[in-house]
Amino acid sequence: MEKPALTQFIDNLKSVPDAARRAFLKNGLPESERERSQMSFHNFFLHMQSVRTHKHSLRWTYTLGLGIIATAALIILTATGVLLMVYYKPSTELAYYSMKDINYVVFGGRIVRNVHRWAAHLMVVAALLHMARVFYTGSYRRPREVNWLIGLGLLVMTLALSFTGYILPWDQLGYWAATIGANIAQSPREVTDAFGITHAVDVGGLGKQMLLGASFVGEDALLRFYVLHCVVLPGLLMTLLGLHFWRIRKDGGLSRPESVDKPGAPDYKPVQPGIFKPGTEKTYGLMALVKGSKPTVGTAPENTVMSWPHLMYAEAAVFALTMAITLVLGYFLNAPLKEIANPMVPENPAKAPWYFLGLQELVSYSAFMGGIGIPTITLVSLALIPFLDRKGSDVGIWFGGAAGKKVFWQSVLFGAMVTVGMLALTITQGWLRTWIPNIPQLVITVVNPGTVLVGLYAWWSLSNIKRHNSIRMGAVAMFTVFLVGFILLTYVAAIHRGPNWHFYWLHSQWPPH
Amino acid sequence: MADGLPDRDISRGTKWLLLVSSLVVIAIMVGEARSNLSAEWRRHQKEYHKLLLAKALDEANKETARSFNIALQQVVVPELGVTDRCVSCHTGIDNPHMADEKQPYRLHPGTFLKDHPVSRFGCAICHRGQGAAVNNADAKAVHAYWDYPMLPGKMVQASCGQCHDPKAMKGRGGDILARGARLFESSGCRACHKLGGRGGALGIALDDEGRRIIHQLPLTELKGEHTVWNWLAEHFRDPRGVVPTSQMRNPTLTEPEIEALTTYILSLSKLTIPEDYITPDKYEQKYEALRPGRPNGAELYRQFCFSCHESGTYSRWDKISGRFIPAIRGKALAASPAGYLRRNIELGRDGTQMPGWRKSGGGLSNSEIGALEAYIRGGVKPVEMTASAQGRGNAGRGRALFAQNCRGCHGSGGKGGVAPALGSATFLSVASDAFILSTIKNGRPDTAMPAFQRAGTAGLTDVELTDLLAYIRSMK
Repeated sequence: MEKPALTQFIDNLKSVPDAARRAFLKNGLPESERERSQMSFHNFFLHMQSVRTHKHSLRWTYTLGLGIIATAALIILTATGVLLMVYYKPSTELAYYSMKDINYVVFGGRIVRNVHRWAAHLMVVAALLHMARVFYTGSYRRPREVNWLIGLGLLVMTLALSFTGYILPWDQLGYWAATIGANIAQSPREVTDAFGITHAVDVGGLGKQMLLGASFVGEDALLRFYVLHCVVLPGLLMTLLGLHFWRIRKDGGLSRPESVDKPGAPDYKPVQPGIFKPGTEKTYGLMALVKGSKPTVGTAPENTVMSWPHLMYAEAAVFALTMAITLVLGYFLNAPLKEIANPMVPENPAKAPWYFLGLQELVSYSAFMGGIGIPTITLVSLALIPFLDRKGSDVGIWFGGAAGKKVFWQSVLFGAMVTVGMLALTITQGWLRTWIPNIPQLVITVVNPGTVLVGLYAWWSLSNIKRHNSIRMGAVAMFTVFLVGFILLTYVAAIHRGPNWHFYWLHSQWPPH
Repeated sequence: MADGLPDRDISRGTKWLLLVSSLVVIAIMVGEARSNLSAEWRRHQKEYHKLLLAKALDEANKETARSFNIALQQVVVPELGVTDRCVSCHTGIDNPHMADEKQPYRLHPGTFLKDHPVSRFGCAICHRGQGAAVNNADAKAVHAYWDYPMLPGKMVQASCGQCHDPKAMKGRGGDILARGARLFESSGCRACHKLGGRGGALGIALDDEGRRIIHQLPLTELKGEHTVWNWLAEHFRDPRGVVPTSQMRNPTLTEPEIEALTTYILSLSKLTIPEDYITPDKYEQKYEALRPGRPNGAELYRQFCFSCHESGTYSRWDKISGRFIPAIRGKALAASPAGYLRRNIELGRDGTQMPGWRKSGGGLSNSEIGALEAYIRGGVKPVEMTASAQGRGNAGRGRALFAQNCRGCHGSGGKGGVAPALGSATFLSVASDAFILSTIKNGRPDTAMPAFQRAGTAGLTDVELTDLLAYIRSMK
């Protein structure tokens, strides 16, 4: 006989905790491999990962955890960003004061903002290094070309997100950085002006208008950057990121050298076929097509481990590490907040965020080349790499082996020499305009320290292809010199550029205002 | 498990990393929560609470003291755009029992809060500083990224000028400000600086000078603290010590005068204050500016002319501008015809530092210019000019004569040198032939201009004078 409904109701009420646990965790934490794989299958967040992970993918020295660090930073940024959105008011009247409120009166507001700032920097660094890791291990090769392109898109999104966030506090720092950004958007004018067609085809002016919604950085610009920062770009980034993850699985997990799965490799453990015992009360149809002569049971593909818990531990640890890094930085170092934005008081020097300082250095030679030309050349070159360097058996090997390592170090040396040389020349001697005051701007747009460097880098890359008779070596050479150039230009612009973009050895030598 | 033990070991390192990182995360979060809970203002309010309890003698006060709640305090005055949290630490700012306590618990000195209740004014509208901050250093904001740091000491009087007429503040808690305002008028600042549309154009207009922020000032040469008030004070001590290209005369001011003038300059603001806050005396100040009384020539001279012409009875060599500044009063004027002086005042002398003072220039009304002219003339009658040209002069010969006799002081081509520029459009339009001729002939008394045709000297002939005139007229 059924219990009376009321009694049943009370019993059910009492057993809610148990029933809920069952509903969410099924049978508690998984005990067997079968349960572990179900853990991965049945969980929305975990099913994106395969049930088993190759041991090579868990090596610290291979991935350096960079992709996960970038993802962890993104999660931290999303969480802290939502918290900041609760208090932030995107209007020129209120934005700055809402930052002050976050700093002074919101409980934990200071550290939330600081962590947001540091996580943003960390995400940029991690994304850049992740790209370098993927490049140097040759992981862009087939079948991962598409994911390399998606990754490039993610890098651009990351930079755009970071930059759009820069202006939101509405302080002097962000205001003038945004002004620089807008002027870069306007820099095609340098070319249209040179041809005298700006009145007809004002690409630059249009770009600036689109970015700012006005001819200056003001209310409309702030709202645009806010919408981009909080809605459009995160949406795009998340979509691309989902695609990026999905493609990792589609492309067979993280890249790894072919050798690790060959008999004789140090970690190689061959599959030990179990003995399949047919049950007595079942009939068996065709269940699977297998390699070899008989089905194997109770074992898994070579060199893989269960994702739950091993991959979970690795991901959780890197996530916790990212949290720890951003929290420690955020606790001790405050995110900058300068005076309220003031169009009447230009910052001198007005500097873009650090990751754009290399470009700003190039912009100081030619606005168009530094802001549009060379970044486009760089992105297109990066996008072409997987299609130019197609063959090779060195996927998953850092620098593709000893020869590549040598090319890497030679390229570091070459890149450093030509970049420092070109900087020294420009800083001490000036450039064409210094020597020939009446030179047409178009000549400088085409021939400036930035384009000369790009030319030298390209020559170096081609000569390496020829010397080593290997496209891969040329790619390593090119990527390395660009990376070195990026780092050095960023360093000089960040540390040695003072008021009016003059060179100073030390910040203390700057004239006060 | 097929893989056995090695599967477990593979995660050993990551487990440690997870453990250590998690501990760091927890430690930082606890640390941050602690520092939020033990904020500076909370400590002060606890201390204040103790003081309240100790000072409560009767039951009513004891009850108030007991019910004191530790919480962030802020004054919000939307009309003034004020959100001031200063009262989170200065909890006893309007509590008379706290008169003898140390900061930050002490009662506000004086009777200022009686007329300016904290709830209606907040704090930063007078003191400046960062009202939103909840710690001492950031609230003072002298070396923080904040445009208007807290005004030091008595300079807070500068803020009275937003709602009060500075001159009316004498004896009402704004003595320094009132003194500064008087000094501003008597030191001849308006000779070069405009304020309220009245003043010369050599210096910058000062209408919003009190709200300047430090980054707008040249700091390369500034000695001492990088604050606006120190910049102003240093600038009054030695203008060229702060701005090497400054043309400002060295004001000879005592230190208290410098403080007063600095305070006054800091009070100059174009910030819009809601009508409710403006005091009757401020309205009177504005009324006076619109409906000035009978102009006083001597006072006007002091305000607008003295800085360059000094007493005006002698011409003097000015080191800063590198030219003679002519005598304009007394005998020197005896030779100027009627209308000549007035038009010079109205139009100024282009090519020199002398600006025009009419309404559209220096902002003086016709009656004021009249008063000024009368004062400058000092009762000396304009001289009837009798000298006349002898026919048409020859400008070519005049040019040679000019080079011989005049160019040394008046510069080539009449551009002006140590002596006034004769090519000036004002001069050429204002000076009559007779005036020019008789000036060359007789010189200008009390100036460096000698007579070129005095009895008993060789001098120039009348024909030569006419030739010179022709040349001067040809200068444009």
